[in-house]
Amino acid sequence: MTGYLLRRLAGLVPVLLGITLISFSVMKLAPGEPTDASLQFNPKASLEARERMEKLLGLDQPLHRQYLRWLGRVARMDFDRSFRDGRLVTEHVLERLPVTVTINVAALFLVFGIAVPLGVFAAVRPGGAFDRLTTVLVFIGYSAPGFWLALLAIAWFGVTLHWFPVSGLHSIDAETMGLLRRGLDVAWHLILPVGVMTFVGLAGLSRYARSGMMEVLRQDYIRTARAKGLPERRVLFRHGLGNALLPIITILGLSLPDLIAGSVVMETVFSIPGMGRLFYDAVMARDQNVVMALVTIGALLTLLGNLLADLAYAYADPRIRVGSAR
Amino acid sequence: MRPRQRFARDAAAALAVSVMLSLPAAAQPEPASGDALIVSSIGDASRLLPILATDSASGDIVGLLFNGLLKYNERLEIVGDLAESWTVSPDGLTITFVLRPNVRWHDGEPVTAEDVRFTYEKLIDPTVLTPYSSSYQLIDSVEVLDPLTVRVRYREPFAPALESWMMGIIPKHLLEQEDLNTTSFLRRPIGMGPYRFRRWKTGELIELIANPDYFEHRPFIDRYLYRVIPDQATSFLELLTGRVDLAGLSPLQYRRQTDTPYIRQSYRKFRYPSFGFTYVGYNLQDARFADRRVRQAFNLAIDKQALIDGVLFGLGAAATGPYPQESWAYDPSIQPPPPDREAARALLAEAGWSDHDGDGVLDRDGRPFQFTLITNQGNEVRRQVAELVQQQLAALGVDVRIRIIEWSSFVHEFIDKRRFEAVLLGWSLSRDPDLYDLFHSSKIREGEYNFVGYASPEVDRLLEDGRRVFDQKERQRIYRKVHQHLAEDAPYTFLFVPEALPILHARFRNVAATPIGITYNLIDWHVPPAEQRYRRLTPR
Repeated sequence: MTGYLLRRLAGLVPVLLGITLISFSVMKLAPGEPTDASLQFNPKASLEARERMEKLLGLDQPLHRQYLRWLGRVARMDFDRSFRDGRLVTEHVLERLPVTVTINVAALFLVFGIAVPLGVFAAVRPGGAFDRLTTVLVFIGYSAPGFWLALLAIAWFGVTLHWFPVSGLHSIDAETMGLLRRGLDVAWHLILPVGVMTFVGLAGLSRYARSGMMEVLRQDYIRTARAKGLPERRVLFRHGLGNALLPIITILGLSLPDLIAGSVVMETVFSIPGMGRLFYDAVMARDQNVVMALVTIGALLTLLGNLLADLAYAYADPRIRVGSAR
Repeated sequence: MRPRQRFARDAAAALAVSVMLSLPAAAQPEPASGDALIVSSIGDASRLLPILATDSASGDIVGLLFNGLLKYNERLEIVGDLAESWTVSPDGLTITFVLRPNVRWHDGEPVTAEDVRFTYEKLIDPTVLTPYSSSYQLIDSVEVLDPLTVRVRYREPFAPALESWMMGIIPKHLLEQEDLNTTSFLRRPIGMGPYRFRRWKTGELIELIANPDYFEHRPFIDRYLYRVIPDQATSFLELLTGRVDLAGLSPLQYRRQTDTPYIRQSYRKFRYPSFGFTYVGYNLQDARFADRRVRQAFNLAIDKQALIDGVLFGLGAAATGPYPQESWAYDPSIQPPPPDREAARALLAEAGWSDHDGDGVLDRDGRPFQFTLITNQGNEVRRQVAELVQQQLAALGVDVRIRIIEWSSFVHEFIDKRRFEAVLLGWSLSRDPDLYDLFHSSKIREGEYNFVGYASPEVDRLLEDGRRVFDQKERQRIYRKVHQHLAEDAPYTFLFVPEALPILHARFRNVAATPIGITYNLIDWHVPPAEQRYRRLTPR
């Protein structure tokens, strides 16, 4: 097992390098430079000034040299500075990470907590009233554009009912509050975005759970369990559910990078300064140090998530033990 | 109506109190201080230092923290700001500024001529990431004559220099040892302006607080909160719940969505012309557009008022040239031509374009008049304008294709490389009428702004003269001629000057729309005590 793990870990390195190389090239192939956002079409910024700035930022160097320099820094865990404001990229990431992780963990828990039971119960009587009702509901969440649902939620719960704040993370006078009240203030601000994200996320997972459960309920061992006279509850939850949840492990593993990848749309509509907007703004501004840092972190987490899912799978499903066969 | 009534009541109460106390009844009592102004912005600031601030958010904040030597007043005249007085030598080569005494940085140090020289040195320092160096390249020397007097010598006279000294002055004593590109000062600036920096939560909020020692007077509004709300729809919903006091509206929001009892009662809308214009520019290297008659014909055929009514809901003015009507360089004798399709057709026929084959499209030498109008993605107004232009030129018999391109490729692949036939764009310009960068025939290298390739010896000469003369009467004569030439030559079809459309909560008093905007007198805004919303921060 250890040998397998080490081999898998070593295998990540070339993949990671490949991802960064391709991301770097794609970004460089796209027209535009980090100096564009502020200086293009600003008659006060002369051509000479722009060229000087590109030189100062090292953008006049050949591409391979820019990439190797970047790689050298990253090997030392240094993601350099943002072109946009001159701050360290790590500072930017650390500033944005807490809120994004909070929202995503909350939404993930809610999605799993709601979607799995929904899917499982729907599978018990496919085509029944409960199944049809939940299908319609989750597909509304799945098909309606997220930003539109978010705006509707704001307009209804924020503007008409005044239950929740429209956007942002803190009340204006949050800094004068005590620690507890400030925490509650943030939670109050996060209810709408987390709620909308949960609603949007339900469809996919509840369908997985439903089809997984239906698949399992068709198996011979379920028939056997029923035939030997086990109570239906025991059949469903002991023999059915455990096996139906196997594919969910993969999904959970694949969700790991999602925890730090904020949703651009939700963060924009709710004015939340999270990772999604950091990435989006960086791409738009061609702020390559920030883009590359986020791509690298995201790629690393995706690869690790895959690995974790594989390992967990091997642990949970005796049919796919790896490496121990021979 | 309600706020006004309440104001009257408060005024009456204040009067009664003052009579009872038999104080000398001041006709104009000092306005109450307090409350906070919450501004909504699409983007966050990046670097809070005047010489590095390039985005509009940084510009907004820096403008309240730092002052320049000069500024524009609400009539667009240049007046002293930090400078108490200034003199331009008769040959235009020397400008001497005398600073106001007793102006202090927020840390208590005096603002001196040394700071002015330091600012200049950093502006031309090649290791500083400032894009603004070009306005200072003609400077020969900046001399400190005494702590309050500074003399700037130019190698040749340069009239836009006065505007360039509106650049915020930065503190030498705090920045001398710092690397300006990365210093922590960029996140915690110390200026001398009407507001002091308080805190900045990235992507969320910037808070400023009134500077009690500001040299004009302490601003009445205690706090200035700049909220980053990237989505315009959200910003509007925030307005509806009263958590935003000042925001920019789109023409649609101005005309339709804000016409509700709640908004009419709680907010005031303002409109004033922005300093800029939207235009169609033609690639003059293209043989068809090199013919002035063709450009003039398009200018006659495009109904500018229809564009303004259709796309801006009437919130704009037809443009006849590069200046808005508020500019002293604007020549009022040039009237927008009434749309005249027949005259346009005649001009095109003169240039050889007529519908020989009867297919509804003009042609010459067997080739139909067809071109592509490109514009950038993400600007809804431009997309709609492009469609109306297409429709209006189709009525003339010209086949226009529209292509919308992502901004970076638009600039690098099409504009810079001159791979376009016609382009729909807008300029937003400074108040000085100098248009050297846009229309001088020398500014045609890749990445420069005369990308249409306009070359007129007379306009070149006028643009050069306009930079050399300081006298505004004389400059007015010059730039009105520039205006005439551009209107006649029509290298662009100048379409319209859009209006800025701010909306502000009605509790703020002493606010007016002027050509320079509404916030020019922010320090004089105030809120009557009974209407104040946000309590004063306890001093730290």
